[in-house]
Amino acid sequence: MNGLLPAFWAEALKARRSRAIWLTAAGFMMLPLVGGLMMIILKDPVRAREMGLISAKAQLAAGVADWPTFFGLLTQGIAIGGAIVFAMVTAWVFGREFSDRTAKDLLALPTSRAAIVAAKFILIAWWALGLALLVFAAGLAMGNAVVIPGWSADLTWRSFWAFLAVALLDLMLLPFVALFASMGRGYMAPLGWAFLSVFLAQIAAILGWGDWFPWSVPALFSGMAGPRAGDLGLHSYVAITLAFVTGLAATFFWWQRADHTR
Amino acid sequence: MTLAIETNGLSKSYGPVRAVESVDLRVERGEIYGFVGLNGAGKTTTIRSLLGMVRPDAGSVRVLGQAVGPRGRGPWQQVGHLVEAPAAYPELTVRENLEIARRLQQIADAGAVARIIERLGLASYTDRKAGALSTGNLQRLGLARALLHEPALIILDEPANGLDPAGVVEIRELLQELARQKGVTVFMSSHILTEVDRLATLVGLIHHGRLVEELAADELDRLRARRLEVRARDLDAARRALAAAGFSVTAGDDTLLLTEARALDAPDEIARLLVDAGAPPTRLAVEEENLEEYFLRLTEQGA
Repeated sequence: MNGLLPAFWAEALKARRSRAIWLTAAGFMMLPLVGGLMMIILKDPVRAREMGLISAKAQLAAGVADWPTFFGLLTQGIAIGGAIVFAMVTAWVFGREFSDRTAKDLLALPTSRAAIVAAKFILIAWWALGLALLVFAAGLAMGNAVVIPGWSADLTWRSFWAFLAVALLDLMLLPFVALFASMGRGYMAPLGWAFLSVFLAQIAAILGWGDWFPWSVPALFSGMAGPRAGDLGLHSYVAITLAFVTGLAATFFWWQRADHTR
Repeated sequence: MTLAIETNGLSKSYGPVRAVESVDLRVERGEIYGFVGLNGAGKTTTIRSLLGMVRPDAGSVRVLGQAVGPRGRGPWQQVGHLVEAPAAYPELTVRENLEIARRLQQIADAGAVARIIERLGLASYTDRKAGALSTGNLQRLGLARALLHEPALIILDEPANGLDPAGVVEIRELLQELARQKGVTVFMSSHILTEVDRLATLVGLIHHGRLVEELAADELDRLRARRLEVRARDLDAARRALAAAGFSVTAGDDTLLLTEARALDAPDEIARLLVDAGAPPTRLAVEEENLEEYFLRLTEQGA
Protein backbone atom coordinates (compact mmCIF):
# COMPACT_ATOMS: atom_id res chain seq x y z
CA MET A 1 0.00 0.00 0.00
CA ASN A 2 1.70 3.13 -1.26
CA GLY A 3 2.39 5.68 1.47
CA LEU A 4 0.94 3.97 4.54
CA LEU A 5 3.70 5.21 6.85
CA PRO A 6 3.50 8.91 5.89
CA ALA A 7 -0.29 8.69 6.00
CA PHE A 8 -0.16 7.23 9.50
CA TRP A 9 2.34 9.90 10.58
CA ALA A 10 -0.10 12.58 9.36
CA GLU A 11 -3.07 10.97 11.14
CA ALA A 12 -1.08 10.62 14.37
CA LEU A 13 -0.04 14.30 14.28
CA LYS A 14 -3.64 15.42 13.72
CA ALA A 15 -4.77 13.28 16.67
CA ARG A 16 -1.97 14.48 18.97
CA ARG A 17 -2.82 18.10 18.33
CA SER A 18 -6.56 17.65 18.80
CA ARG A 19 -8.60 18.08 21.93
CA ALA A 20 -10.63 15.00 20.95
CA ILE A 21 -7.97 12.68 22.34
CA TRP A 22 -8.24 14.29 25.81
CA LEU A 23 -12.02 14.60 25.68
CA THR A 24 -12.51 10.92 24.85
CA ALA A 25 -10.06 9.90 27.59
CA ALA A 26 -11.80 12.16 30.11
CA GLY A 27 -15.23 10.87 29.02
CA PHE A 28 -14.15 7.25 29.31
CA MET A 29 -12.71 7.79 32.81
CA MET A 30 -16.31 8.07 33.97
CA LEU A 31 -16.48 4.30 33.68
CA PRO A 32 -14.01 3.36 36.48
CA LEU A 33 -15.26 6.33 38.53
CA VAL A 34 -18.87 5.16 38.35
CA GLY A 35 -17.73 1.56 38.95
CA GLY A 36 -15.87 2.68 42.09
CA LEU A 37 -18.88 4.65 43.28
CA MET A 38 -21.08 1.57 42.81
CA MET A 39 -18.65 -0.46 44.92
CA ILE A 40 -18.75 2.14 47.71
CA ILE A 41 -22.56 2.06 47.66
CA LEU A 42 -22.77 -1.74 47.57
CA LYS A 43 -20.27 -2.04 50.38
CA ASP A 44 -22.49 -0.11 52.76
CA PRO A 45 -25.86 0.98 51.28
CA VAL A 46 -27.10 2.39 54.62
CA ARG A 47 -24.08 4.68 54.96
CA ALA A 48 -24.36 5.64 51.28
CA ARG A 49 -27.99 6.72 51.95
CA GLU A 50 -26.91 8.72 55.00
CA MET A 51 -24.14 10.39 53.00
CA GLY A 52 -26.65 11.29 50.27
CA LEU A 53 -24.84 9.25 47.60
CA ILE A 54 -28.13 7.57 46.78
CA SER A 55 -31.73 8.58 47.36
CA ALA A 56 -33.62 6.99 50.23
CA LYS A 57 -36.02 5.60 47.60
CA ALA A 58 -33.27 3.89 45.56
CA GLN A 59 -33.81 0.19 44.91
CA LEU A 60 -30.36 -1.28 44.47
CA ALA A 61 -30.07 -4.24 42.12
CA ALA A 62 -28.62 -7.32 43.73
CA GLY A 63 -24.88 -7.12 43.79
CA VAL A 64 -21.95 -7.38 46.08
CA ALA A 65 -18.93 -5.20 46.45
CA ASP A 66 -16.15 -7.43 45.23
CA TRP A 67 -13.64 -7.66 42.41
CA PRO A 68 -15.68 -10.08 40.22
CA THR A 69 -18.66 -7.67 40.31
CA PHE A 70 -16.39 -4.69 39.70
CA PHE A 71 -14.69 -6.32 36.72
CA GLY A 72 -18.14 -7.30 35.41
CA LEU A 73 -19.23 -3.64 35.61
CA LEU A 74 -16.13 -2.50 33.73
CA THR A 75 -16.65 -5.08 30.98
CA GLN A 76 -20.33 -4.25 30.58
CA GLY A 77 -19.45 -0.56 30.66
CA ILE A 78 -17.01 -0.86 27.81
CA ALA A 79 -19.56 -2.75 25.72
CA ILE A 80 -21.91 0.25 25.63
CA GLY A 81 -19.43 3.05 26.47
CA GLY A 82 -16.98 1.71 23.93
CA ALA A 83 -19.64 1.56 21.24
CA ILE A 84 -20.34 5.27 21.80
CA VAL A 85 -16.85 6.64 22.57
CA PHE A 86 -15.05 4.61 19.88
CA ALA A 87 -17.71 5.73 17.42
CA MET A 88 -17.00 9.35 18.42
CA VAL A 89 -13.31 8.77 17.74
CA THR A 90 -14.15 7.29 14.32
CA ALA A 91 -16.57 10.11 13.52
CA TRP A 92 -13.84 12.61 14.37
CA VAL A 93 -11.07 10.88 12.39
CA PHE A 94 -13.16 10.58 9.21
CA GLY A 95 -15.74 13.33 9.63
CA ARG A 96 -13.28 16.13 10.38
CA GLU A 97 -11.87 15.92 6.85
CA PHE A 98 -15.27 17.04 5.59
CA SER A 99 -16.14 19.57 8.26
CA ASP A 100 -12.66 21.16 7.89
CA ARG A 101 -12.97 20.80 4.08
CA THR A 102 -9.59 19.06 3.92
CA ALA A 103 -10.85 15.85 2.26
CA LYS A 104 -10.24 17.30 -1.22
CA ASP A 105 -6.53 17.63 -0.37
CA LEU A 106 -6.24 13.89 0.29
CA LEU A 107 -7.45 12.65 -3.08
CA ALA A 108 -4.87 13.52 -5.75
CA LEU A 109 -1.61 12.59 -4.04
CA PRO A 110 1.24 10.13 -4.56
CA THR A 111 0.06 8.61 -1.26
CA SER A 112 -2.84 6.41 -2.28
CA ARG A 113 -6.36 6.93 -1.00
CA ALA A 114 -6.29 3.33 0.26
CA ALA A 115 -3.23 4.18 2.40
CA ILE A 116 -4.98 7.22 3.84
CA VAL A 117 -8.10 5.23 4.74
CA ALA A 118 -6.00 2.37 6.15
CA ALA A 119 -3.96 4.85 8.23
CA LYS A 120 -7.17 6.28 9.66
CA PHE A 121 -8.40 2.81 10.66
CA ILE A 122 -5.03 1.92 12.21
CA LEU A 123 -5.08 5.16 14.22
CA ILE A 124 -8.65 4.46 15.40
CA ALA A 125 -7.61 0.94 16.49
CA TRP A 126 -4.63 2.27 18.49
CA TRP A 127 -6.69 5.10 19.94
CA ALA A 128 -9.49 2.74 21.04
CA LEU A 129 -7.04 0.20 22.40
CA GLY A 130 -5.23 2.93 24.33
CA LEU A 131 -8.51 4.13 25.82
CA ALA A 132 -9.47 0.57 26.79
CA LEU A 133 -6.12 -0.04 28.51
CA LEU A 134 -6.36 3.31 30.28
CA VAL A 135 -9.83 2.50 31.58
CA PHE A 136 -8.78 -0.94 32.78
CA ALA A 137 -5.70 0.45 34.54
CA ALA A 138 -7.79 3.20 36.13
CA GLY A 139 -10.31 0.52 37.14
CA LEU A 140 -7.60 -1.45 38.94
CA ALA A 141 -6.49 1.68 40.77
CA MET A 142 -10.09 2.52 41.68
CA GLY A 143 -10.82 -1.03 42.93
CA ASN A 144 -7.73 -0.85 45.13
CA ALA A 145 -8.66 2.60 46.40
CA VAL A 146 -12.17 1.59 47.51
CA VAL A 147 -10.81 -1.67 49.00
CA ILE A 148 -13.02 -4.51 47.81
CA PRO A 149 -12.47 -8.20 48.51
CA GLY A 150 -11.98 -11.12 46.15
CA TRP A 151 -8.91 -10.07 44.18
CA SER A 152 -6.71 -12.67 42.59
CA ALA A 153 -4.16 -12.49 39.82
CA ASP A 154 -6.01 -15.19 37.90
CA LEU A 155 -9.34 -13.31 38.11
CA THR A 156 -7.65 -10.08 37.01
CA TRP A 157 -6.01 -11.79 34.06
CA ARG A 158 -9.24 -13.47 32.92
CA SER A 159 -11.20 -10.26 33.40
CA PHE A 160 -8.60 -8.31 31.45
CA TRP A 161 -8.91 -10.62 28.42
CA ALA A 162 -12.71 -10.53 28.58
CA PHE A 163 -12.58 -6.72 28.79
CA LEU A 164 -10.19 -6.55 25.85
CA ALA A 165 -12.30 -9.00 23.83
CA VAL A 166 -15.37 -6.75 24.27
CA ALA A 167 -13.28 -3.73 23.21
CA LEU A 168 -12.17 -5.63 20.10
CA LEU A 169 -15.75 -6.64 19.29
CA ASP A 170 -16.71 -2.95 19.58
CA LEU A 171 -13.82 -2.11 17.24
CA MET A 172 -15.16 -4.50 14.60
CA LEU A 173 -18.31 -2.38 14.32
CA LEU A 174 -16.47 0.88 13.65
CA PRO A 175 -16.01 0.58 9.84
CA PHE A 176 -19.74 1.25 9.46
CA VAL A 177 -19.32 4.43 11.49
CA ALA A 178 -16.45 5.44 9.18
CA LEU A 179 -18.66 4.70 6.17
CA PHE A 180 -21.44 6.94 7.52
CA ALA A 181 -18.90 9.71 8.28
CA SER A 182 -17.60 9.48 4.70
CA MET A 183 -20.94 9.22 2.92
CA GLY A 184 -22.55 11.76 5.25
CA ARG A 185 -19.47 14.02 4.92
CA GLY A 186 -19.28 15.09 8.54
CA TYR A 187 -20.09 14.18 12.13
CA MET A 188 -23.88 14.01 12.25
CA ALA A 189 -24.46 10.83 10.22
CA PRO A 190 -21.88 8.66 12.06
CA LEU A 191 -22.98 9.82 15.51
CA GLY A 192 -26.61 9.30 14.56
CA TRP A 193 -25.76 5.81 13.39
CA ALA A 194 -23.79 5.08 16.59
CA PHE A 195 -26.77 5.90 18.81
CA LEU A 196 -29.22 4.14 16.50
CA SER A 197 -27.08 0.99 16.44
CA VAL A 198 -26.96 0.89 20.28
CA PHE A 199 -30.75 1.25 20.31
CA LEU A 200 -31.22 -1.44 17.65
CA ALA A 201 -28.84 -3.73 19.56
CA GLN A 202 -31.10 -3.44 22.62
CA ILE A 203 -34.19 -4.19 20.56
CA ALA A 204 -32.55 -7.20 18.89
CA ALA A 205 -31.45 -8.54 22.29
CA ILE A 206 -34.95 -8.08 23.74
CA LEU A 207 -36.49 -9.87 20.77
CA GLY A 208 -34.07 -12.74 21.22
CA TRP A 209 -32.20 -12.15 17.96
CA GLY A 210 -29.19 -10.49 19.56
CA ASP A 211 -26.87 -13.39 18.82
CA TRP A 212 -27.53 -12.86 15.10
CA PHE A 213 -27.29 -9.07 15.19
CA PRO A 214 -23.65 -7.89 15.05
CA TRP A 215 -24.32 -4.72 17.06
CA SER A 216 -25.71 -6.78 19.98
CA VAL A 217 -22.74 -9.13 20.16
CA PRO A 218 -20.36 -7.00 22.34
CA ALA A 219 -23.06 -6.37 24.95
CA LEU A 220 -24.11 -10.05 24.99
CA PHE A 221 -20.48 -11.10 25.27
CA SER A 222 -19.97 -8.71 28.20
CA GLY A 223 -22.75 -10.49 30.10
CA MET A 224 -25.24 -7.64 30.04
CA ALA A 225 -28.05 -10.01 29.08
CA GLY A 226 -27.27 -12.73 31.57
CA PRO A 227 -24.40 -15.20 31.56
CA ARG A 228 -21.70 -14.24 29.14
CA ALA A 229 -21.75 -15.89 25.74
CA GLY A 230 -24.96 -17.69 26.70
CA ASP A 231 -26.61 -17.48 23.30
CA LEU A 232 -23.53 -16.51 21.36
CA GLY A 233 -22.18 -19.06 18.97
CA LEU A 234 -20.04 -19.29 15.90
CA HIS A 235 -22.85 -17.66 13.91
CA SER A 236 -22.58 -14.54 16.11
CA TYR A 237 -18.86 -14.17 15.45
CA VAL A 238 -19.41 -14.80 11.73
CA ALA A 239 -22.08 -12.07 11.74
CA ILE A 240 -19.84 -9.51 13.44
CA THR A 241 -16.91 -10.45 11.16
CA LEU A 242 -19.19 -9.94 8.15
CA ALA A 243 -20.21 -6.52 9.46
CA PHE A 244 -16.52 -5.67 9.93
CA VAL A 245 -15.46 -6.79 6.45
CA THR A 246 -18.49 -5.21 4.73
CA GLY A 247 -17.99 -1.87 6.49
CA LEU A 248 -14.28 -1.87 5.75
CA ALA A 249 -14.73 -2.77 2.07
CA ALA A 250 -17.53 -0.23 1.61
CA THR A 251 -15.47 2.56 3.19
CA PHE A 252 -12.45 1.80 1.00
CA PHE A 253 -14.70 1.53 -2.07
CA TRP A 254 -16.36 4.86 -1.30
CA TRP A 255 -13.04 6.71 -1.00
CA GLN A 256 -11.75 5.10 -4.19
CA ARG A 257 -14.82 5.40 -6.37
CA ALA A 258 -17.30 7.99 -5.13
CA ASP A 259 -17.60 11.45 -6.65
CA HIS A 260 -15.79 13.79 -4.28
CA THR A 261 -17.65 17.02 -4.74
CA ARG A 262 -16.77 18.61 -1.39
CA MET B 1 6.09 16.27 -26.18
CA THR B 2 2.82 15.15 -24.59
CA LEU B 3 0.20 17.71 -23.64
CA ALA B 4 -0.04 18.85 -20.03
CA ILE B 5 -3.82 18.44 -20.08
CA GLU B 6 -5.98 16.69 -22.62
CA THR B 7 -9.69 15.97 -22.29
CA ASN B 8 -11.85 14.40 -24.96
CA GLY B 9 -15.62 14.72 -24.76
CA LEU B 10 -15.51 15.21 -21.00
CA SER B 11 -19.07 15.12 -19.67
CA LYS B 12 -20.45 14.97 -16.15
CA SER B 13 -23.98 15.22 -14.80
CA TYR B 14 -25.28 15.38 -11.25
CA GLY B 15 -28.75 13.92 -11.53
CA PRO B 16 -30.63 15.96 -14.10
CA VAL B 17 -28.04 18.76 -14.02
CA ARG B 18 -25.45 18.59 -16.79
CA ALA B 19 -22.43 20.19 -15.13
CA VAL B 20 -19.99 19.67 -17.99
CA GLU B 21 -20.77 18.65 -21.55
CA SER B 22 -18.33 17.41 -24.16
CA VAL B 23 -15.41 19.54 -23.07
CA ASP B 24 -12.27 19.10 -25.19
CA LEU B 25 -9.24 20.75 -23.62
CA ARG B 26 -5.72 20.84 -25.01
CA VAL B 27 -3.19 22.56 -22.80
CA GLU B 28 0.42 22.62 -23.99
CA ARG B 29 3.29 22.38 -21.52
CA GLY B 30 4.48 25.74 -20.22
CA GLU B 31 1.13 27.36 -21.01
CA ILE B 32 -0.77 29.52 -18.54
CA TYR B 33 -4.37 28.58 -19.20
CA GLY B 34 -7.10 30.84 -17.85
CA PHE B 35 -10.37 29.00 -17.39
CA VAL B 36 -13.17 31.52 -17.24
CA GLY B 37 -16.85 31.07 -16.53
CA LEU B 38 -19.77 32.26 -14.48
CA ASN B 39 -20.67 30.58 -11.18
CA GLY B 40 -22.05 27.12 -11.94
CA ALA B 41 -20.63 27.14 -15.49
CA GLY B 42 -18.69 23.92 -14.87
CA LYS B 43 -15.23 25.20 -13.91
CA THR B 44 -14.89 23.32 -10.63
CA THR B 45 -16.40 20.10 -12.02
CA THR B 46 -13.85 20.24 -14.84
CA ILE B 47 -11.02 20.84 -12.36
CA ARG B 48 -12.21 18.01 -10.12
CA SER B 49 -12.37 15.72 -13.17
CA LEU B 50 -8.79 16.66 -14.10
CA LEU B 51 -7.74 15.65 -10.59
CA GLY B 52 -9.70 12.39 -10.57
CA MET B 53 -11.99 13.61 -7.80
CA VAL B 54 -15.14 13.07 -9.83
CA ARG B 55 -15.61 10.38 -12.41
CA PRO B 56 -16.76 11.61 -15.82
CA ASP B 57 -19.92 10.07 -17.27
CA ALA B 58 -18.28 10.17 -20.67
CA GLY B 59 -14.98 11.14 -22.22
CA SER B 60 -11.42 10.81 -21.11
CA VAL B 61 -8.90 12.84 -19.14
CA ARG B 62 -5.14 12.70 -19.56
CA VAL B 63 -2.80 14.72 -17.37
CA LEU B 64 0.90 14.94 -18.25
CA GLY B 65 0.37 12.09 -20.68
CA GLN B 66 -1.14 9.76 -18.09
CA ALA B 67 -4.76 8.68 -17.98
CA VAL B 68 -6.59 9.86 -14.87
CA GLY B 69 -8.54 6.88 -13.73
CA PRO B 70 -10.45 5.33 -10.89
CA ARG B 71 -8.89 4.76 -7.46
CA GLY B 72 -7.21 8.17 -7.71
CA ARG B 73 -4.70 7.03 -10.33
CA GLY B 74 -2.70 9.86 -11.90
CA PRO B 75 0.70 11.54 -12.05
CA TRP B 76 0.10 13.34 -8.76
CA GLN B 77 3.80 13.57 -7.84
CA GLN B 78 4.06 16.17 -10.60
CA VAL B 79 0.75 17.96 -10.05
CA GLY B 80 0.01 20.66 -7.50
CA HIS B 81 -3.55 21.77 -6.90
CA LEU B 82 -5.74 24.15 -5.00
CA VAL B 83 -9.42 23.36 -5.39
CA GLU B 84 -12.09 25.86 -4.33
CA ALA B 85 -11.59 27.55 -0.95
CA PRO B 86 -8.26 26.75 0.70
CA ALA B 87 -8.51 24.54 3.77
CA ALA B 88 -6.10 23.47 6.47
CA TYR B 89 -6.19 21.62 9.78
CA PRO B 90 -7.05 24.50 12.13
CA GLU B 91 -5.32 23.17 15.26
CA LEU B 92 -2.07 22.56 13.37
CA THR B 93 0.48 25.29 12.66
CA VAL B 94 1.40 26.44 9.16
CA ARG B 95 4.61 24.41 9.38
CA GLU B 96 2.76 21.28 10.57
CA ASN B 97 0.16 21.56 7.82
CA LEU B 98 2.94 21.78 5.24
CA GLU B 99 4.87 18.97 6.92
CA ILE B 100 1.81 16.74 6.46
CA ALA B 101 1.65 17.80 2.79
CA ARG B 102 5.38 17.07 2.38
CA ARG B 103 5.02 13.56 3.74
CA LEU B 104 1.87 12.80 1.75
CA GLN B 105 3.62 14.13 -1.37
CA GLN B 106 6.46 11.78 -0.40
CA ILE B 107 9.11 14.50 -0.70
CA ALA B 108 12.34 13.27 0.87
CA ASP B 109 13.87 16.75 1.21
CA ALA B 110 12.87 18.04 4.65
CA GLY B 111 14.03 21.55 3.71
CA ALA B 112 11.20 21.89 1.17
CA VAL B 113 8.80 23.17 3.83
CA ALA B 114 11.09 25.97 5.01
CA ARG B 115 11.78 27.03 1.41
CA ILE B 116 8.13 27.27 0.39
CA ILE B 117 7.26 29.13 3.62
CA GLU B 118 9.91 31.70 2.71
CA ARG B 119 8.81 31.89 -0.92
CA LEU B 120 5.13 32.44 -0.16
CA GLY B 121 5.86 35.08 2.47
CA LEU B 122 4.59 32.96 5.37
CA ALA B 123 7.76 33.13 7.48
CA SER B 124 6.20 35.25 10.22
CA TYR B 125 3.25 32.84 10.47
CA THR B 126 5.24 29.57 10.57
CA ASP B 127 4.18 28.63 14.09
CA ARG B 128 0.73 30.17 13.96
CA LYS B 129 -2.22 27.76 13.98
CA ALA B 130 -3.97 27.63 10.63
CA GLY B 131 -7.29 28.32 12.36
CA ALA B 132 -5.98 31.77 13.32
CA LEU B 133 -4.88 32.77 9.79
CA SER B 134 -6.58 35.46 7.74
CA THR B 135 -8.31 34.41 4.50
CA GLY B 136 -5.39 35.77 2.49
CA ASN B 137 -2.78 33.86 4.48
CA LEU B 138 -4.90 30.71 4.33
CA GLN B 139 -4.87 31.16 0.55
CA ARG B 140 -1.07 31.50 0.68
CA LEU B 141 -0.89 28.30 2.72
CA GLY B 142 -3.05 26.54 0.09
CA LEU B 143 -0.75 27.82 -2.67
CA ALA B 144 2.30 26.76 -0.65
CA ARG B 145 0.86 23.25 -0.44
CA ALA B 146 0.24 23.26 -4.20
CA LEU B 147 3.79 24.40 -5.00
CA LEU B 148 5.65 22.51 -2.26
CA HIS B 149 6.83 19.66 -4.48
CA GLU B 150 7.80 21.88 -7.44
CA PRO B 151 5.19 20.33 -9.72
CA ALA B 152 5.27 20.38 -13.52
CA LEU B 153 1.56 21.23 -13.61
CA ILE B 154 -0.34 23.48 -11.22
CA ILE B 155 -4.14 23.39 -11.20
CA LEU B 156 -5.59 26.32 -9.30
CA ASP B 157 -9.19 27.23 -8.62
CA GLU B 158 -9.47 30.98 -8.04
CA PRO B 159 -5.85 31.49 -6.88
CA ALA B 160 -6.31 35.21 -6.19
CA ASN B 161 -9.22 34.67 -3.77
CA GLY B 162 -8.80 36.52 -0.50
CA LEU B 163 -5.44 38.04 -1.41
CA ASP B 164 -4.85 41.76 -1.01
CA PRO B 165 -3.81 43.72 -4.14
CA ALA B 166 -0.10 43.31 -3.34
CA GLY B 167 -0.63 39.58 -2.82
CA VAL B 168 -2.42 39.28 -6.17
CA VAL B 169 0.54 40.88 -7.95
CA GLU B 170 2.99 38.72 -5.99
CA ILE B 171 1.22 35.47 -6.90
CA ARG B 172 0.84 36.58 -10.52
CA GLU B 173 4.59 37.23 -10.73
CA LEU B 174 5.34 33.91 -9.05
CA LEU B 175 3.19 31.97 -11.52
CA GLN B 176 4.66 33.88 -14.48
CA GLU B 177 8.16 33.15 -13.22
CA LEU B 178 7.39 29.43 -12.80
CA ALA B 179 5.96 29.25 -16.32
CA ARG B 180 8.76 31.24 -17.96
CA GLN B 181 11.78 29.95 -16.10
CA LYS B 182 10.83 26.40 -15.22
CA GLY B 183 8.33 25.60 -17.95
CA VAL B 184 5.61 24.87 -15.39
CA THR B 185 2.11 24.61 -16.83
CA VAL B 186 -0.54 26.58 -14.97
CA PHE B 187 -4.26 25.82 -15.34
CA MET B 188 -6.25 28.36 -13.37
CA SER B 189 -9.89 29.21 -13.10
CA SER B 190 -10.85 32.67 -12.06
CA HIS B 191 -13.72 35.03 -11.96
CA ILE B 192 -11.30 37.97 -11.72
CA LEU B 193 -11.07 38.38 -15.45
CA THR B 194 -8.54 41.20 -15.37
CA GLU B 195 -6.24 38.79 -13.55
CA VAL B 196 -6.70 36.11 -16.22
CA ASP B 197 -6.25 38.81 -18.85
CA ARG B 198 -2.86 39.80 -17.42
CA LEU B 199 -1.58 36.29 -16.79
CA ALA B 200 -2.98 33.76 -19.24
CA THR B 201 -1.40 32.81 -22.53
CA LEU B 202 -4.53 30.88 -23.48
CA VAL B 203 -8.08 31.55 -22.30
CA GLY B 204 -10.94 29.06 -22.30
CA LEU B 205 -14.48 30.32 -21.79
CA ILE B 206 -16.95 27.83 -20.32
CA HIS B 207 -20.66 28.53 -20.27
CA HIS B 208 -23.51 26.19 -19.29
CA GLY B 209 -20.96 23.34 -19.09
CA ARG B 210 -19.66 23.84 -22.62
CA LEU B 211 -16.32 25.23 -23.69
CA VAL B 212 -17.67 28.01 -25.90
CA GLU B 213 -14.39 29.58 -26.93
CA GLU B 214 -10.70 28.98 -26.56
CA LEU B 215 -8.38 31.79 -27.53
CA ALA B 216 -4.69 32.56 -27.40
CA ALA B 217 -3.94 35.86 -25.67
CA ASP B 218 -2.95 37.58 -28.95
CA GLU B 219 -6.02 36.19 -30.70
CA LEU B 220 -8.14 37.58 -27.90
CA ASP B 221 -6.56 40.98 -28.44
CA ARG B 222 -7.57 40.77 -32.10
CA LEU B 223 -11.15 39.72 -31.39
CA ARG B 224 -11.88 42.23 -28.73
CA ALA B 225 -14.25 44.89 -29.93
CA ARG B 226 -12.62 48.30 -30.25
CA ARG B 227 -14.36 51.62 -30.54
CA LEU B 228 -13.42 55.23 -31.02
CA GLU B 229 -14.98 57.47 -28.43
CA VAL B 230 -15.48 61.07 -29.42
CA ARG B 231 -16.53 63.97 -27.25
CA ALA B 232 -17.12 67.53 -28.38
CA ARG B 233 -18.72 70.65 -26.93
CA ASP B 234 -21.23 70.64 -29.80
CA LEU B 235 -21.94 66.92 -29.95
CA ASP B 236 -24.78 67.31 -32.44
CA ALA B 237 -22.62 69.21 -34.94
CA ALA B 238 -19.89 66.60 -34.53
CA ARG B 239 -22.36 63.77 -35.21
CA ARG B 240 -23.70 65.55 -38.34
CA ALA B 241 -20.15 66.09 -39.64
CA LEU B 242 -19.19 62.45 -39.11
CA ALA B 243 -22.42 61.19 -40.68
CA ALA B 244 -21.90 63.49 -43.66
CA ALA B 245 -18.44 61.94 -44.10
CA GLY B 246 -20.10 58.51 -44.29
CA PHE B 247 -19.28 57.23 -40.79
CA SER B 248 -21.75 55.13 -38.90
CA VAL B 249 -22.17 56.89 -35.58
CA THR B 250 -23.76 55.67 -32.36
CA ALA B 251 -24.66 58.44 -29.98
CA GLY B 252 -24.29 57.97 -26.25
CA ASP B 253 -25.26 60.45 -23.51
CA ASP B 254 -22.22 62.67 -23.96
CA THR B 255 -20.13 60.54 -26.31
CA LEU B 256 -20.17 59.47 -29.94
CA LEU B 257 -19.01 55.93 -30.71
CA LEU B 258 -17.43 54.78 -33.99
CA THR B 259 -16.55 51.15 -34.60
CA GLU B 260 -15.51 51.08 -38.26
CA ALA B 261 -11.92 50.14 -39.00
CA ARG B 262 -11.26 53.33 -41.02
CA ALA B 263 -12.19 55.40 -37.95
CA LEU B 264 -10.22 53.22 -35.52
CA ASP B 265 -7.15 53.21 -37.74
CA ALA B 266 -7.11 56.96 -38.34
CA PRO B 267 -8.35 58.94 -35.35
CA ASP B 268 -6.19 61.86 -36.57
CA GLU B 269 -8.40 62.06 -39.69
CA ILE B 270 -11.49 62.18 -37.49
CA ALA B 271 -9.93 64.99 -35.46
CA ARG B 272 -9.17 66.98 -38.63
CA LEU B 273 -12.68 66.40 -39.99
CA LEU B 274 -14.28 67.65 -36.77
CA VAL B 275 -12.02 70.71 -36.59
CA ASP B 276 -12.88 71.56 -40.21
CA ALA B 277 -16.59 71.19 -39.41
CA GLY B 278 -16.28 73.64 -36.49
CA ALA B 279 -16.88 70.98 -33.84
CA PRO B 280 -13.40 70.22 -32.53
CA PRO B 281 -13.13 67.14 -30.27
CA THR B 282 -12.51 67.57 -26.55
CA ARG B 283 -11.70 63.87 -26.21
CA LEU B 284 -10.73 61.27 -28.78
CA ALA B 285 -9.78 57.79 -27.57
CA VAL B 286 -9.63 54.26 -28.95
CA GLU B 287 -11.11 52.04 -26.22
CA GLU B 288 -10.65 48.29 -26.22
CA GLU B 289 -13.16 45.88 -24.76
CA ASN B 290 -11.69 44.09 -21.74
CA LEU B 291 -11.98 40.36 -21.16
CA GLU B 292 -14.93 40.90 -18.86
CA GLU B 293 -16.90 42.79 -21.48
CA TYR B 294 -15.87 40.30 -24.17
CA PHE B 295 -16.93 37.41 -21.96
CA LEU B 296 -20.29 38.99 -21.14
CA ARG B 297 -20.90 39.76 -24.83
CA LEU B 298 -20.14 36.17 -25.74
CA THR B 299 -22.25 34.60 -22.99
CA GLU B 300 -25.19 36.90 -23.74
CA GLN B 301 -25.05 35.74 -27.34
CA GLY B 302 -24.91 32.10 -26.25
CA ALA B 303 -27.52 32.40 -23.51
